[in-house]
Amino acid sequence: MKSSLGSYALVLSLCLGACAAAAPVDFVRDVRQIFEKHCIECHGEKKQKSGFRLDVKAEALKGGDNHGPDIIPGKAKESPLIHLVSTTDEDEVMPPKGARLSVAEIDTLTRWIDEGAAWPDGVDRVKLADKRDHWSFKVISASVEKPQPLSIDAFIDAKLAENGLRRSPPADPVAVIRRIAFDLTGLPPTPERVSAFVEECRDGSSFVIRHSSLQRLADDFLASPRYGERWAQHWLDVVRFADTHGFEVNTERPNAWPYRDYVIRAFNNDTPYDRFIKEQIVGDAMGEDAATGFLVTASALLPDQIGKDAPSMRLARQDSLDEIVNNVGQTFLGLSVGCARCHDHKFDPITAKDYYAMQAFFAGVQYGERPIRDQHSEELRKTELAELELKKTKAGTGRVIFIDDEDSARTTSLKKKNGHGENPAGKGRGYRDDEGGADWVPNISRGRYTWWDNVPDADTFTWNPGVEGRFRVWLSWGVHGSGVHTRDARYVLDRDGNLATRDDQTEIGNADQFRFANITEGDSEKTPLWSGLRDAGVQELRGESRIILRGGKTGTGITADVLVLEEGDGLKGAVADFSRFEKRKAELARGPVVFGGIFTEPEDIRLLSRGDPEQPKDEVLPAVLSAFGELTLPKATPEQKRRKALADWIASPKNPLTARVMVNRIWQGHFGTGLVETPSDFGHNGMKPTHPELLDWLAAEFMRSGWSVKHMHRLIVMSETYRQSGFGFSRTDAAKAAATLDADIHLLWRYPGRRLEAETLRDSMLAVSGQLNLGMYGRGFNLFNQRGGLSGFNPVETLTPENQRRMIYAHKVRREPEVVFGAFDCPDAGQSTAIRRASTTPIQALNLFNSRFTLQVSEAFAARLKKETGDDLVKQINRVYQIALTRNASAGELSDAEPVVRQHGLAVLCRAIFNSNEFLFVP
Amino acid sequence: MKHHAEHLSISGRALLDRRQFLSNSATALGSIALTNLLGLDGLLAAESDGPIINPARPYAPRQPHFPGKAKNVVVIFCAGAVSQLETWDYKPELIKWDDKPLPGGPAVTFQGPAGNLARPQYEFRQRGKTGKWVSEMIPHLAELTDDIAFVHSLTSKSNTHGPAENFLSTGFVLDGFPSLGSWVTYALGSESQELPSYVAIPDPRGVPQNGANNWGPGFLPAAFQGTTMSSKNPVRHLTAPGVSGDADRAARSLLQRMNARHLEANPGDGKLAARIASYELAARMQLSVPEINDLSTEPAHILKMYGADDAQNPDKAAFAKNCILARRLIEKGVRFVQLFNGAYASGGKLNWDGHNALKEQYDVHAGILDQPAAALIRDLKQRGLLEDTLVVWCTEFGRMPFFQKGAKGRDHNPDGFTCWLTGAGVKPGVSHGRTDDLGQKAIENIHPLYHFNATILHLLGLDYERLSFEHNGIQRRLTNVEGKLIPELLA
Repeated sequence: MKSSLGSYALVLSLCLGACAAAAPVDFVRDVRQIFEKHCIECHGEKKQKSGFRLDVKAEALKGGDNHGPDIIPGKAKESPLIHLVSTTDEDEVMPPKGARLSVAEIDTLTRWIDEGAAWPDGVDRVKLADKRDHWSFKVISASVEKPQPLSIDAFIDAKLAENGLRRSPPADPVAVIRRIAFDLTGLPPTPERVSAFVEECRDGSSFVIRHSSLQRLADDFLASPRYGERWAQHWLDVVRFADTHGFEVNTERPNAWPYRDYVIRAFNNDTPYDRFIKEQIVGDAMGEDAATGFLVTASALLPDQIGKDAPSMRLARQDSLDEIVNNVGQTFLGLSVGCARCHDHKFDPITAKDYYAMQAFFAGVQYGERPIRDQHSEELRKTELAELELKKTKAGTGRVIFIDDEDSARTTSLKKKNGHGENPAGKGRGYRDDEGGADWVPNISRGRYTWWDNVPDADTFTWNPGVEGRFRVWLSWGVHGSGVHTRDARYVLDRDGNLATRDDQTEIGNADQFRFANITEGDSEKTPLWSGLRDAGVQELRGESRIILRGGKTGTGITADVLVLEEGDGLKGAVADFSRFEKRKAELARGPVVFGGIFTEPEDIRLLSRGDPEQPKDEVLPAVLSAFGELTLPKATPEQKRRKALADWIASPKNPLTARVMVNRIWQGHFGTGLVETPSDFGHNGMKPTHPELLDWLAAEFMRSGWSVKHMHRLIVMSETYRQSGFGFSRTDAAKAAATLDADIHLLWRYPGRRLEAETLRDSMLAVSGQLNLGMYGRGFNLFNQRGGLSGFNPVETLTPENQRRMIYAHKVRREPEVVFGAFDCPDAGQSTAIRRASTTPIQALNLFNSRFTLQVSEAFAARLKKETGDDLVKQINRVYQIALTRNASAGELSDAEPVVRQHGLAVLCRAIFNSNEFLFVP
Repeated sequence: MKHHAEHLSISGRALLDRRQFLSNSATALGSIALTNLLGLDGLLAAESDGPIINPARPYAPRQPHFPGKAKNVVVIFCAGAVSQLETWDYKPELIKWDDKPLPGGPAVTFQGPAGNLARPQYEFRQRGKTGKWVSEMIPHLAELTDDIAFVHSLTSKSNTHGPAENFLSTGFVLDGFPSLGSWVTYALGSESQELPSYVAIPDPRGVPQNGANNWGPGFLPAAFQGTTMSSKNPVRHLTAPGVSGDADRAARSLLQRMNARHLEANPGDGKLAARIASYELAARMQLSVPEINDLSTEPAHILKMYGADDAQNPDKAAFAKNCILARRLIEKGVRFVQLFNGAYASGGKLNWDGHNALKEQYDVHAGILDQPAAALIRDLKQRGLLEDTLVVWCTEFGRMPFFQKGAKGRDHNPDGFTCWLTGAGVKPGVSHGRTDDLGQKAIENIHPLYHFNATILHLLGLDYERLSFEHNGIQRRLTNVEGKLIPELLA
């Protein structure tokens, strides 16, 4: 049998070979069967290895990922297909497993290609799916079939009814207000607001939530500045905002925070979402400079970290452009455009050319800081400068006094000065930007010293403190390794301030101005440096006392620099403060800046084969995704116009994705899961919406309202769907049945309660304990002992007013989880986080139960309770429940807690409450 | 060995049993519902190969895709890029060409202008039955070559430490992707229910260049992130500072009663039960973590074998203690231990980044690495632990065959470098792949690090193509779309 089949094939192939000259190869008769026999398994409908398929004409002639077309009509010899099926190289040959193509088969293919590779249209057995045919790519239709009366509830109920389910009964008013408060502000409601609301809802012995009360509640929370702080966090998760540069050195990105503040303000102002998009892409043209922080939120290699070789530089640039394209694609369009960096998107209608065309809109965007020119920042700058000036005037009367050598009010030059030594730029010891070391302080000399000719024993200069009391005197001078400076400058305290009288003078120190203050041997650099501080002992000063700089016996030059007087301890801290103060002042003088991108002449963008910068192909012009529009910009389009064109296209009501993606994010913020479960992927690979009509209606409503995000919140929280029972409703048969049918609560037969996020948890603990500092905006507070850098980060564990602000104001160190709350799935700002997972781990339990944070906050809460309720134990316990859980304690809870509180104190109860499930979950 | 089950409340013990957990919940919770509780909603569609994770026991051991030879992993991660030319990749040609320019070589490499070729800075000699050439820099590790499978032809996608460490640890050069250890514990859970399933042990001199991203969970649930711990710094928050034992117990039992009441009133959602169970697990960790860190129970000869008693070299002694800790963690069934040797960027002072004075600095680093790491492998072997433990030695890239201009050190080289495997499932005494005669580029059996990672997963019984997690619309894998096995390394 086998042999007869074999010989049949042989005869057939011989015949085909012999007949070749007469009859051309026919694709359907001769070629397709070869593909189907050997190739289709890996290059067909199910699998497309290397992105190549041979069952559809258009795809087959296009070729795979790794090189150009595999079939070059008329040129079999040059066609990779022929090479691959006929090669003897084990690593290359196709098919890699199973029987090879016979000589006759190879011959057929060769002749078919040489004859022009004719592949008639319409003969393919499978039709290539049109990637553009996808629900989210279609215009948002106003004509969807709508339930009457039109409301969220009607859409939800219709779907529930289809599945034989019903909504749960309404949640009680306490659960409702708690839910709305957490969702809109990220903080629990105050007991006073709760009782007012509950009273409004009282209806005899039961409760009815009236439309007007609910409206007022929603309006109150939406008008609170806490709202913007809450919702900005959701946005910052998606755009992976952080205050450090990431990668190996992870240094501070000191001016990223204005973008964070911009986002908070935008949500609080209910900036129309279409405008919000435009501001983030091209805010520099709209008076919102800080908004373009969006473009450059990603990790970025600093110039020092990029290799000096050209390929390294090209790759780094490509990576940084890629991050911008990813951010725009995922955030606004819900598309993984970045997938097309190396090859056409496997699932969505995004070609590699589309990807590079998108890059071309940003071809002039560089990572870096740019001055902020808007009015808001100008005001901030003025206020802070005024505050600093105020602090500075105070500095003169404080415990530590700095007298600079150029402070004309408090120094006297007794001889004509020759000039100044300027400390060179750099961080080395004594350099201008010296940040201090283990045994020396940062450079506080303002970067220069004064110098005179050295005349032995001649009084040259005096510092005139003008203060009374006992002070430790710290000397400093200019160091230079040239050998010119005197090696024995003398410092003399003149008590009565009259230099002519000498019996009141005491020599309090001398200085080798060749060297640093605490160095006694070795060489010195031949450059003007600052000495650091030399202790000249504790001295009794009178108002008129002066400190004289007197010429040494050696050297031709003598120098003076800042003198510091210290009353008591704390020099190091004061020096650090001073140094920070000076730095900040210099920054402010420069004007506010934001890490919001620098805009330069656009570079040429080329399509890169396999995403490899070393394999550039044709140049690509800025153009929107080809499946969605036809907008292409000419090469001459200036930088800002490019971004503007893209922003206008994204923020257009005609864009089918923009509104849908955002209303879905808003929905997710209220229900934990979006109507589309994959909020940053609305493509073929993403999940389909559970309620497509509802999503479209919401999107249309969003645009109709003028893209008002707050309008969408109102619609949602006013709905009965949002206000149904949560965890508590599960004992009935109906609930059990529903849980079996729809365990994930996709259809919303009850409210899906969920754990608080990291920030909400921390903020709520502070709020409940009465310690939350509601100060808004500005430079982030420290979670660690350093704001960026290479080595391990040690947590700040002492509570201060600064770090009792809301966690969104923390200086966000990329990848470094906050020591207690980081474990609660806090995003690390590496990649975009469109959904926060809510995992449950023993590390979370350890952190929340044992951390200093919890213990300190528990103590503070206990102190608050004692202050508010006095010594009555029952009142205290009840108040714990009212504040933390917005309800009274039950009799059983009182009797549980009472003996514990009596024996161990109130803080123990507070610590337990902060760890309780009821506290941790949105009801 | 202590048993900690008695420290669990009755309800806690019940929660740890999956079937009871299910039946105790008032509504029917299918396994799909259970997976939600760890934050895995919608990720385990029927066709997905994602693991089914019991929320009450996120670290419970889970079945691999196919029976794997290795159960546990120790990764010895040498940060800063160890020169292949001073260690495992012997290039006698370089001796001939010492101090001569490389014709046609690059004028500029990562850090700047290239200088002349430079001979290996240590003598090499042959070792063991295989006759493998290894340098004198690492005499103890050199004795183990008969058990090792080397790959000499690895390549990286970046020549910059940060992205390259990301690439080694996560398969992506960018920040924010899950680390190898997170993937493994996500897939397999852990044999230990008293210790974190994934422990990262930083070098006593500091954390590596890309810090926490080397053990981060990326977008996987936080349950699968590496917990840092070392002989110097144990796990944080194990006890409440300044709280008496009585007050602590009182708070705990009050919390238990609160949660029990709440669960009673809200019986329908497993999230609540899972959180209660997490406190029970935490309580067990509070006992077992200090125990594992207490090296006083180690006999003197073991301390000596690792070099933990070396009073002259405190960095070596501290690293040796970390090595002992690694062994103890493996003994207790911890799934994945990442042991770092080398800290952050420091001009080569604290890690293997030998740009300027390579020989001088490597003398120091090798003195810290060699004896303790070799002792760890020997100790695992003598206790039979190497039967099911895979040991990986790796570094982010290699170094150039020439010195940098004006310096006595080598620049970054991602085009050909060496890492190795030993232990469970590894073919002993193998040297696979080859760089050119000067050790600059891989020329035979070239393997991007994807292949190395794919092979590690394979040894654990995991298919690198099936182990995936959907994130923002993409089925993400450790090996991206590039994986391939290196069968030559498999026993």
